[in-house]
Amino acid sequence: MWVSPTPPQKKKKKKKSHQVGIEQAVLHRQQSLPHRPVIPLVARMADQNTSGTPAMSEREASRLDKFRQVLAGPNTDLEELRKLSWSGIPRQVRPITWKLLSGYLPANAERRESTLQRKRQEYFGFIEQYYDSRNDEHHQDTYRQIHIDIPRTNPLIPLFQQASWQEIFERILFIWAIRHPASGYVQGINDLVTPFFVVYVFEYIEEEVENFNVSSLQEEVLRNIEADSFWCMSKLLDGIQDNYTFAQPGIQRKVKALEELVSRIDETVHCHMQQYEVEYLQFAFRWMNNLLMRELPLRCTIRLWDTYQAEPEGFSHFHLYVCAAFLVRWRKEILEEKDFQGLMILLQNLPTMHWGNEEVSVLLAEAYRLKFAFADAPNHYKR
Amino acid sequence: MSGGAELGFTEHLFKVLVIGDHKVGKTSFVKRYVKNQFYEELKTTIGVDFSMKVIDWDSHTRVRLQLWDIAGQERLRGLNRVFFKRSSGALVVYDMTNGSTLDGALNWKHELDSQVMLKNGRPIPAVLLANKCDETKVCRRNASLLEKLCQEKGFIGWFQTSAKENINVDEAAKFLVKHILQNNEESVKEEEQNMQINLKQQSKSNSTCC
Repeated sequence: MWVSPTPPQKKKKKKKSHQVGIEQAVLHRQQSLPHRPVIPLVARMADQNTSGTPAMSEREASRLDKFRQVLAGPNTDLEELRKLSWSGIPRQVRPITWKLLSGYLPANAERRESTLQRKRQEYFGFIEQYYDSRNDEHHQDTYRQIHIDIPRTNPLIPLFQQASWQEIFERILFIWAIRHPASGYVQGINDLVTPFFVVYVFEYIEEEVENFNVSSLQEEVLRNIEADSFWCMSKLLDGIQDNYTFAQPGIQRKVKALEELVSRIDETVHCHMQQYEVEYLQFAFRWMNNLLMRELPLRCTIRLWDTYQAEPEGFSHFHLYVCAAFLVRWRKEILEEKDFQGLMILLQNLPTMHWGNEEVSVLLAEAYRLKFAFADAPNHYKR
Repeated sequence: MSGGAELGFTEHLFKVLVIGDHKVGKTSFVKRYVKNQFYEELKTTIGVDFSMKVIDWDSHTRVRLQLWDIAGQERLRGLNRVFFKRSSGALVVYDMTNGSTLDGALNWKHELDSQVMLKNGRPIPAVLLANKCDETKVCRRNASLLEKLCQEKGFIGWFQTSAKENINVDEAAKFLVKHILQNNEESVKEEEQNMQINLKQQSKSNSTCC
């Protein structure tokens, strides 16, 4: 039903054209068959320009070199690392870079190993202390909801249907929820574990993850990935906690801010939606609650988060500009819809399945431009 | 909400809410009804999922249903007002294999009635759906309990349904649409009557004027 607005991966190397063909076939199949296809979300997830192809472009190689240089010293220059990371982090150094940027790992290289050990012990201490209480009366509702939601987190990816992964996700979410009673577990938070987990698994495996069997990882390794994912997700959520407290005030405020921002940057689109009585809350609630994860393929979310972690207040503030850029990106399609239902169905099913790094980079550049242009405007929304 | 009658053909547009606790099968019900598909696992609904169903009701009536599938987690009481407004009917779903979701359904019904009503002040028609009936059976005692609940809580009726096995999905929706259409006719009549009264009054005042 949806025609792709941009040709898929135009600049891709020739070697890849075969893969693009497969993807288009998958795309096509999804539209015509009633059966749910397995979409290669994970296979090409980490870094589509390098994964699976032995040859790296010169530019990519030199970027990786720069990262390695910054990461090599006894004290990592976090400012420098942020600057480099803003335009995307090479797959090979993504795990350590994410851990540094989120503040989980110290800049001082000597202290890293002991920090990791301490934090991992601390997390498993929580498990020992709290996890048995999941069936207690005052926690069982939380646990039950998490337990129900885990298989519904990534139903398209067979990997995430494996029992041992699901147990890990349950533990991470349960411990986080009971340690944050002001919000507790809110649907949507379950999505936010996935990018960390997938990125940290890549630290230990070379192959594609699509059909990867979890139990082939050493238990110790799996425990490390679990603890690291927990802490990094916690850091992320610390910055956006009012998204998830009662009545979700953070989200309501951001949706309002989005509406105001769009009315300033593209009055035509804004008025068009008003004319057909589309309210921003009806579609953008999910954009804020799940940080666009429901609107983009996983590989794009991971690329997006490279920048969010490099940008000051990336998840809590810059995301707003990304959402505005994302909405206006579909201006042509939006203006073509001439009734409420057409608009809603479009806005809830934006055709991004073929998106990759290029599309995300364009989106981020536009968001940056908006932030720059509007952040200091006198009447503009301010936090 | 109704389109103009041209050559005796009428098109209606109605907003129908699908509400109930989480994981009772709201999204599955909608997917079965709209696309005739069923998935074992669906992503949790965040906020609201929107879909459309067009029904050729009879040779001179077409009904377009806007289905608003509302996230089940109770977190956003304030938002329900935004999502509920101007709805013409509701499907209130509970999971037959999980008794506490029936209490949940009654709470949702209460919430619904406090947020929206028909022009004449009556509650909007709502059908209670006992979903996942493929996994269990309604015993006679349950059936009479549900009957009683419907009367007490103002549901227009109840159905045991299965989105998985496609049991009573169309029937329940049809039952609701029938009531919505009846309400619609009544309110059109009422409006016409009001208009005639107004016209009479107007012509009276006009005549005194002349």
